Amino acid sequence: MSFTLSFEPLALEPQEHSQAGGFVSFEGKVRNHAQGRSVIHLEYEAYPEMATAQGNELVHEAMERFGLLDARVTHRLGTLNIGDTAVVVQAAAAHRREAFEACEWIMDQIKWRVPIWKRETYADGVSEWVHAGSAPAEPHSDQIRFERQMRLPQVGDVGQTKLQEARVLLVGVGGLAAGSLPPLVGAGIGTIGLVDADLVELSNLHRQTLFASSDTGRQKVERAAAFAKRLRPAVQVETHFEALSETNATRLIESFDWVLDGTDSLETKFLLNDVCRKLGKPLVTASVHQFEGQIMTLRPDGPCLQCLFPEVPPDHCVGTCATSGVLGVVPDVLGALQANEVIKGILGLPTLDRQLALFDLLTLDVTRLERTFNPKCPICSGSEHSSSLEWDLQQLPAFDFDLIDIREIDEQPNLQRPHLRIPMTSCYERSFVRPTVFVCASGRRSFRLAADLRAAGNRHVFSLLDGLNNPALR
Amino acid sequence: MMRVNIRYFAVLRERRGLSEEQIETSAATIGECVNQLVVEHRLGLPVSLIRVAIGTDFADDSTPLQEGMQLLLIPPVAGG
Repeated sequence: MSFTLSFEPLALEPQEHSQAGGFVSFEGKVRNHAQGRSVIHLEYEAYPEMATAQGNELVHEAMERFGLLDARVTHRLGTLNIGDTAVVVQAAAAHRREAFEACEWIMDQIKWRVPIWKRETYADGVSEWVHAGSAPAEPHSDQIRFERQMRLPQVGDVGQTKLQEARVLLVGVGGLAAGSLPPLVGAGIGTIGLVDADLVELSNLHRQTLFASSDTGRQKVERAAAFAKRLRPAVQVETHFEALSETNATRLIESFDWVLDGTDSLETKFLLNDVCRKLGKPLVTASVHQFEGQIMTLRPDGPCLQCLFPEVPPDHCVGTCATSGVLGVVPDVLGALQANEVIKGILGLPTLDRQLALFDLLTLDVTRLERTFNPKCPICSGSEHSSSLEWDLQQLPAFDFDLIDIREIDEQPNLQRPHLRIPMTSCYERSFVRPTVFVCASGRRSFRLAADLRAAGNRHVFSLLDGLNNPALR
Repeated sequence: MMRVNIRYFAVLRERRGLSEEQIETSAATIGECVNQLVVEHRLGLPVSLIRVAIGTDFADDSTPLQEGMQLLLIPPVAGG
């Protein structure tokens, strides 16, 4: 097992592994064109200590990930001519599939992670340094990439920064995620988490168009991550090849700002509803049936899934894609709508917080129903303030903070202690660096504002429970 | 007897085999009305798992049924 750099021409060395049923050897060559320009020769340069360390780390990771018997990588440095070998990747495994997959994975990872640069010299005499793997790097290219959406007054520089700082978790990487992942990555969401324990199956492909036919048998999370990286190499992707359960839910969810439910199990949907509420995370849930879909955004301070359906029904009694069938475009549309909810939520735009939207793609009928708190709900007991969130303060904090009254300027009475008045809508356009406590008349608006700003990545904002009625302000 | 309109969603639409119908019923509440439909058409879900909406609002099972009402029958949906 090794990763080495070499200034000498690379030669393929014969490898002997009596246990290996599959041995794959890949050579990356210098070709005579790059992005439409004619290339004469090129030069590789590395920061050798770091490149070797990163390279060895990823080779080691490949050994574990694919259960390899051996993996070797040699990367050329110095000047290379057309047709020269730039890199050799060799993988030995018990079976051919792992060996093929490991080679491809290692090549992708080298391009993303290992600090090797190349200088291409073109036929017109010009030469340019480019990172070996990716397009010319950020942030300059981000200006171009996001230009069309940043033109929107609702996005702009501030909104784009919020999107790029956001962490969004996709639970279930199937049909809904095929609709939500591309627009989320495209919009520039900084970190995407993927949770799914399934492998790609042929019967998935009519609707789960993140995947290619050649992906069958491979981990959904890993192939979806590769898709995301192809779309935007700068996106951070965290993959979890496991099913969400009561044991791991908190661990998987707690570091994220928004959660998308793309699962096909009612049990998991209800578990997500419960855990996200406890952790104070907004959850966008959707499900599909034949030509229909349901979608709603469940905020920690709004009516929850069990307010709507107090009993958790067994899956078999409501039908699944496997038993009832589904048109591929339906989860795609609903997944795209989930991405729309998350992006709007991060930007502080209106979402389906107190509504259930039903889409019938056969007739194109849309039905929107008002959701309310249900006094019989076992999760939130029908209360606006059942949460015990650490940032929903019972009293004013002991640490130094700014107090901001977020009521409209003409709302009375004035607070009796030092404070600023910034109406709620203006607060969305500001960033709060110092610890800040919001107060409003009842604690509802301030809760919502703090929840939204926290969802957008601001960790220093708090809401005062009961607003002006809190004893601390009397 | 009174006439009411029923709209079915998701698995209820699939099991009933149609999207919309007008029925005649002697049921006094919407809960009773839905229960009759569940039994008659073997909809496969207990009434407690079906939410009924009138207009844009969800209604309680004990809501009295009125002539000409339109009931939207909404089940939980699982597929993803």
